[in-house]
Amino acid sequence: MSGEMMVRLQGVTKRFAHVWALRGIDLELRRGRCLGIFGANGAGKTTLLNILATLARPSSGQVTIAGYDAVREADKIRPLLGVLGHRTYLYGDLTASENLQFYGRLFGVPNAHQRSQEWLHSVGLDPDSRQRVRTFSRGMQQRLAIARVLLHEPELLLLDEPYTGLDQNAVGRLQRLLDDLQAADRTIILSTHDLARGLAVCDEILIQSRGKVVYYEEAASDLDITGFEQLYAAHVQ
Amino acid sequence: MTVRHGQIKAPTAHKIGWYMLQATVTYIVMTAALWCVFIYVPTEKAQGIVQRIFYFHVSSAITMFVAFFIVCVASIIYLWKQAQWWDNVALSAAEIGVVYCTLVLITGPIWARPIWGVWWTWDPTLTLTLVLWLIYVAYLMLRADASDAKRTRFAAVLGIIGFADIFLIRWSVVKWRTLHPKPVVVQEGGTTGLPPSMMVTFCLAMAACLLLFFFLLRERASLAQRRYELETLRDEIENELVR
Amino acid sequence: MFNSTGFFQQVIAILAKDLRTEWRTREIFTFMFVFTVLVIVIFNFAIGADPETMRKVAPGILWVALLFATVLGLQRTAQLESEEDCFQGMLLALRDRSVVLIAKVLVNMCYLLVVTLCALPLFSIWFRIDVASHLGPICLVLTLGMAGLSLVGTLFSTISINTRTRGLLLPLLFLPLSVPLTISAVYATTDLLQGKRLADISDYLTLMSVYDIVFLVLSLLVFDSVVEE
Repeated sequence: MSGEMMVRLQGVTKRFAHVWALRGIDLELRRGRCLGIFGANGAGKTTLLNILATLARPSSGQVTIAGYDAVREADKIRPLLGVLGHRTYLYGDLTASENLQFYGRLFGVPNAHQRSQEWLHSVGLDPDSRQRVRTFSRGMQQRLAIARVLLHEPELLLLDEPYTGLDQNAVGRLQRLLDDLQAADRTIILSTHDLARGLAVCDEILIQSRGKVVYYEEAASDLDITGFEQLYAAHVQ
Repeated sequence: MTVRHGQIKAPTAHKIGWYMLQATVTYIVMTAALWCVFIYVPTEKAQGIVQRIFYFHVSSAITMFVAFFIVCVASIIYLWKQAQWWDNVALSAAEIGVVYCTLVLITGPIWARPIWGVWWTWDPTLTLTLVLWLIYVAYLMLRADASDAKRTRFAAVLGIIGFADIFLIRWSVVKWRTLHPKPVVVQEGGTTGLPPSMMVTFCLAMAACLLLFFFLLRERASLAQRRYELETLRDEIENELVR
Repeated sequence: MFNSTGFFQQVIAILAKDLRTEWRTREIFTFMFVFTVLVIVIFNFAIGADPETMRKVAPGILWVALLFATVLGLQRTAQLESEEDCFQGMLLALRDRSVVLIAKVLVNMCYLLVVTLCALPLFSIWFRIDVASHLGPICLVLTLGMAGLSLVGTLFSTISINTRTRGLLLPLLFLPLSVPLTISAVYATTDLLQGKRLADISDYLTLMSVYDIVFLVLSLLVFDSVVEE
């Protein structure tokens, strides 16, 4: 299982009107690895993640996830994906429990009700399960969002700027989550500005600038933070 | 000139020959049509001099339908192939179609006033034209309103649906019209039963309108394509230079 | 990872979610209902003719009021999904995205039908029209009409919510395209209220049915292009 190719991009480009958001991305990621994508705003990180999430189609190139082609077989890929960003995807007027059950039903999770309860318990939202999400604090919403994303046990997690707007506790929670996921052989791709936190968690790193991959390192543990910061400054204008 | 990111191909020669041919033919036919309409064809007995509008009024209406049909087809091809050229064709056909549509809506009343004594009648064709005008003006407004990324796809969807709706609108408007008596029974001068001179004039006017449409379509679409390529190139250069 | 539940089960899940949300806030229904009533009242002032004439134009007034209420209601429905990008959340969870379209169309139809049924008694009283004796056929006409309005409206509210003016264009897109429905629904209703039977209005019913089918098929075909990023 481990070592199998989870994600492969070949010559992927994406054009919006006359602007090339992605200008030829080649990428390979094995199962169980964690890849960090770093880059300035407008480098195309979100576009890349959208394409991986099957929310957008590439203008050209091949995208293969878990052996399926992302353009023709997107419906087989979606059950394998878990997407977490700064948007929570939660319905404010539904309770925490209802939110989870709803997504459970859409994903086709068996025993959606029971599993929702289990997940609410593991993120510590048991007492608030019948509260409307609108009344939750940001931290509570993040915990619920984590439960939501893991409910259907995705194999590939895509996180778009997950640290944005999180306080220390929340960041710690996220880091622990990522460690647990890695231990469970899940594949993770995360994009962020935050060099230190990203470096701490990722196995492989990639710097993206103006739609191209300008730097790639397969053994991120070899890098220290100052070295990485210099590298980043050198490659990103 | 074609642009692939990272590589610019040498510009190909603009197809001067075909352009000149198309321009010349259009010019000749249009001049002939104008001459026929205003000088050659005899004045119609019943309606008088105003009847001359009929030739361009009906031709514009038919050209308008051709234009909107092209918008639909180009939109379908664009969604299928994702090639910018087809979006340009759709946009151009819509713009020119709206112009012809406006012409129909202007020439109609000019014709109606002397004949029926009123500026406007809610007869099926004029009503249909008015609704179409509203739809395709909304098409142009949607293009202006949408962001770069989604504009072409949204417009393509509207282009397809707008055309499909034409048949349903026509059906419903005809049904609606039969409920209201017309002010005067008018022969709209269909193409059957026209004397030869009028037939020739009509055909020339029809040909002139269509040729003009296709000429403008080609020019407008090419302009849009060149603008697109220029913007792509500019974006490329900015990024290469900065790096 | 898991086998997806069936198409209709997913549609019902989304339908239930939306209706549950609406039940809790009741904002869309209330707004649409009050707005419908308001438009009818304003038309009464604006036209101000004798009761006989008003009775003749009454179906038209009702339908116009419903049209305007639809436009505004649909805009709100689309807006709710764009909070926290929940729409995207649904798209990610579904193998077949047309589930979202069908579910949203049915939700909007529900709102429209409930608003109409609530408005009908007032309509009956104010214009002194006996709706009750023709209720069955009128409901059929209204259902066909609402289905069409929902289809066009849902597709274009999804489009227009993603533009710079965030839905401002919806009436301009929606109203001309729904002209066939307007004409058919108003005149079918008028005929029914004058005592004609269903068989007499069959051409209107055919037109509305064809409209509904054509727009259903077209919407399903283009929906993926509309929701793509």
